[in-house]
Amino acid sequence: MASGQLVLTVLMGVFLVGVAAFLSRVEDWRSYTPLASGGGGGYGEAGAHVHREKPAGITRWLTTVDHKDIGILYGTYGVIAFAVGGLMAFLIRLQLVAPTGAVVGNEFYNAILTSHGITMLFLFGTPIIAAFSNYFIPLLIGADDMAFPRINAIAFWLLPPGALLIWAGFFLPGMSGAQTAWTMYTPLSVEQTNVGVDLMLLGLHLTGVSATMGAINFIATIFTERDDDVTWANLDIFSWTILTQSALILFAFPLLGSAIVMLLLDRNLATTFYAVGEGGGPMLWQHLFWFFGHPEVYILVLPPMGLVSYILPRFSGRKLFGFKFVVYSTLAIGVLSFGVWAHHMFTTGIDPRLRASFMAVSLAIAIPSAVKTFNWITTMWNGKVRLTTPMLFCIGFISNFILGGVTGVFLASVPVDQVLHDTYYVVGHFHYIVMGAIGFAIFAGVYFWFPIFTGRMYQRTLGKWHFWLSMIGTNVTFFAMLFLGYLGMPRRYATYDFNSAIAPLDMVTLMHQAASAGAILLLIGQLIFVWNILQSWLEAPKLEDADPWDLKETDQHGREFQWHERRTATALADGGEEEEAVTDGGEVVDDDADDTSDD
Amino acid sequence: MSLADDTTEDHGDHGGHHLPAVEDWPRGFGEASWWPFITAVGAAGIYVAAALFVLGRAEDPLVGPMVGPAATVASIVLFLAGLYGWLYHAFVVNFWERGTDHHSAHTLRLAMICFLGSEVATFGAGFVYYFFIRAGAWPPENLPHLLGSLIVINTAILVLSSFTLHFGHVALRKGNRSRFLQWMAVTLTLGIVFIGGQVYEYYEFIVNEGFTLTEGAFGSAFYGLTGLHGLHVSLGAVLLGIVFVRALKGQYSAERHTSVSTASMYWHFVDVVWIFLVVVLYVGAEIGA
Repeated sequence: MASGQLVLTVLMGVFLVGVAAFLSRVEDWRSYTPLASGGGGGYGEAGAHVHREKPAGITRWLTTVDHKDIGILYGTYGVIAFAVGGLMAFLIRLQLVAPTGAVVGNEFYNAILTSHGITMLFLFGTPIIAAFSNYFIPLLIGADDMAFPRINAIAFWLLPPGALLIWAGFFLPGMSGAQTAWTMYTPLSVEQTNVGVDLMLLGLHLTGVSATMGAINFIATIFTERDDDVTWANLDIFSWTILTQSALILFAFPLLGSAIVMLLLDRNLATTFYAVGEGGGPMLWQHLFWFFGHPEVYILVLPPMGLVSYILPRFSGRKLFGFKFVVYSTLAIGVLSFGVWAHHMFTTGIDPRLRASFMAVSLAIAIPSAVKTFNWITTMWNGKVRLTTPMLFCIGFISNFILGGVTGVFLASVPVDQVLHDTYYVVGHFHYIVMGAIGFAIFAGVYFWFPIFTGRMYQRTLGKWHFWLSMIGTNVTFFAMLFLGYLGMPRRYATYDFNSAIAPLDMVTLMHQAASAGAILLLIGQLIFVWNILQSWLEAPKLEDADPWDLKETDQHGREFQWHERRTATALADGGEEEEAVTDGGEVVDDDADDTSDD
Repeated sequence: MSLADDTTEDHGDHGGHHLPAVEDWPRGFGEASWWPFITAVGAAGIYVAAALFVLGRAEDPLVGPMVGPAATVASIVLFLAGLYGWLYHAFVVNFWERGTDHHSAHTLRLAMICFLGSEVATFGAGFVYYFFIRAGAWPPENLPHLLGSLIVINTAILVLSSFTLHFGHVALRKGNRSRFLQWMAVTLTLGIVFIGGQVYEYYEFIVNEGFTLTEGAFGSAFYGLTGLHGLHVSLGAVLLGIVFVRALKGQYSAERHTSVSTASMYWHFVDVVWIFLVVVLYVGAEIGA
C-alpha cells in the first residue's frame, strides 16, 4: 500500500510539474506573439489589445468571463482529470495481472477504484463536454457570449476546489481515499469511518452545483441568445444535444446533491435517512442514486453523440442523414432516461412487476439509440469519406457504441442481468460507452477543432497512431472484460485468487492480463495524444488556411469555422487593429447579458 | 443601450457598442472581472470549511474544533463580498443609465424558471425519503404533536405574504411607487415573522418536547425538510430585502421590474413548497397515526 501511494504521489508530482511548465509556456506564447504573424487570431489580441478587453498574465485567466477562455480552462481541467483518472485506471490494471494482486494493497486498490470512477465521470466527463459547449455553442448559435458570462466563470472556479476535496483523502495525513466505489452504496458508505469519504462527498456536491449552474446557463443561452437567423428548425445538432443534456442535469444533479447531503448528515449527525430498519434503508439510496445515475449516463453520452453527428457528415461529404430524427431521438432518450433507473437494481429483490416495466423502458431506449446509429451509417453510405483523424475517431465511436449498446440491451433484460449483474460484463459494457464512445467523440472534437483552438494543425501521423492504439487498446481491454463477465468474474475485486474448482482460474488470469495489455496500448496512445497536442500547439506553423477541412466544397462550412475565417482574415488584413476583429466572437462586441439586464 | 454607452467615457471609442462593466474590478477591461473568482472561492470555501469541521471532529483531529466554524464565517463573508461586487456592478450601479432591455429580462426570468426546476429535484430527494418511511410502519414511536395553532398561523402568514408581494408588484406596474414600497415592507415583515415562527417551533420541539434531529426516522424527515425549506425562506427574505433596499433607493419602475418579478417567482415557489410540505409532512403524518 505504501509503495503504491508512493508511486502515485511521484506520478502526480511529475505530472503537475509538467502541467505547470506547460501553462507557463502557453502563457508566454499567448502574451508575446506578434500580431503580424496573423493566424493565431483571437490569441493575438493579447498583444495589441491587452489593455482593452483582457488584462495580461495569469490575471487574464483568473478574471476571464469570455466563453472561449472559460472553454479552454474547462478543457485543461478535463485533460488533467483524465490523466489522473487514467493513471488510477492503469494502476488498477497493473494490480490485476496476478491473481493475488501485483502492486498495491487491497485498501489502496479500493480507493483508486473509487476515485477512478468519480474522477472520470465528474471531473473529466462533465467538464470536458463543458469545454466544447462553452467554446462553441455561442459561436454556433451566433451569440456574443453565454447568457450569463459571470455565472459561467463561477461555475468553472468551483471545480478545482471540488477536485481537491475529492482527492483529499489521498494526500492528507491520517486518512485514505474513500473506498465506497463510485456508487457509494449504503450502509457501506455510512459506516466507513474514514473522513476521506466526507471530503469526497463534499467535493462531489460542489461539482454538482457547478454542473447545475452551467446547465441553467446553457438553457438560457440556447433559448434566448440565438442570432436572428438561427431558428429551432436550423439549430445545429450539437446545440440540440447540449440543450437536452442541460435539461437532464437540471433534474439529476440537484437530486444527487440532496441525496449526498442526507448521506453526510447520516455520517456526521446521526440522522436515519439511510439507516437500516427504521430509516429509508439501502434501497432508498439506490433509488435516489440511480435516479440521478442513469440520466448521468445520458448527460455524458448525448453531447458526444452530438459531436459525432456534427463532425461525421463533414468528412462524408453529405449532410447528416435524417437530421430531424436524430433530434427527435435525442429528445426521446432524454425523456426515457428518467424512467429506467431501476434496471441497476434488478437483483435487489424489488417487485417483479417493477422489474418488468423498467426492463421494457430500458429496452425501449435501444430504439432511439439505434435510430442514431443507423443515421450515422447511412450518412457515410455512398458518401465521399475522408479518413482524417477526427473522422477515424467518429467511426471508432460508432463501432464501439454498437458493442457497448448491444451489451447494454442484454443487461437491460432481467434474466440475463441476473446472471451477469456485478460481473466484469457490466464493466466491459459501460467502458465501451464511456471510453470507446464518449472518449472517442471527445478526441474527434479536439482534432476537428484544433485549428480553431490554436490556429495551427496537429501532427497527422501522431493523430493516426493515437487513433489506432486507442481503438485496439479499447477493444482488447474491454472485450476481455466482457469475456471475464461470462466467466463469472465479479467486478471491484482487488484479488481473484479463487479455488480453481470455482472458476477457471487460468482463463480468468489470462483475460485479466489481456485487459492489462490493452491498457498499456491505451496508455501509450494517450501519451502520444498529449504530446501531439502540446507540441503542435506550441511549435506547429501557423495555419494560413481558415478552412483546413475544405468544408466549403461540400457546403458544410459551419458557423464556427465562418467565425474562424473572419477572425483569421481580419487579423491578417490589418494586424488586428480593427476593434471588431479582435474582440469576442469577431463580431460586433456586445455586452454580457447580465450586465445589460435591466435590473 | 447605445444611449448608455455615450454617457460613459470608457465606452466612447467602441463605436456604438460597449463592453460589459468596464468600471468593474479590474477596471478598464471589458471581459474581465475578479468577482466571479472571488464568489467561487468563497462558495468553495464553505465546502472546505465543512470539511475542516468534519476533520476537527475526528478521533485524531488534524485541525482544531474551531477551525471549521471560523473558516465557515470567513468563507461566507468572502462569498457575500463576491456576490455584492458582482451584482452591484452588473445590475445595481448606473441602473437608470443602462436603459431597458426586454431581451435580458426574458433571459433572467427563464434562468429563474430553470433554477426553480432544479429546486424541485432538490426538495424531491427529501420528500422521497419521507414517503419511504411513511409507507412503512406508522406511526413511529416518537411522533410529536404537529398540528397546532402555530402551524396554522404560520402557514396563513406565508400564504398572505405571497398575496402582499403580488399586490406590491401590481402596484409597481401601475406606477404606484409608494404603494409598492408599502406592500414590499409588509411582505418582508411577514417573511421574517414566518422565520421567527419556525424558530419558535424548533425551540418548542427541541427544548420542551425533546424531539430532535436524531430522534428517529421522522425526526430526520421533519428537520431535513423543514430545515431545507427554512433555508430557502431565509434566502428568499434576503432577496426580497435586496429588492426592498433598491426600491427605497429609487430603483424600479413600471417598465423596469425584472428582479422584482424573479424574486417574486422564487418567493411564490417557496410558498407552494410549504403548502405541499404542510399537507404531506404535518397533516400526512397525523392522519392514520
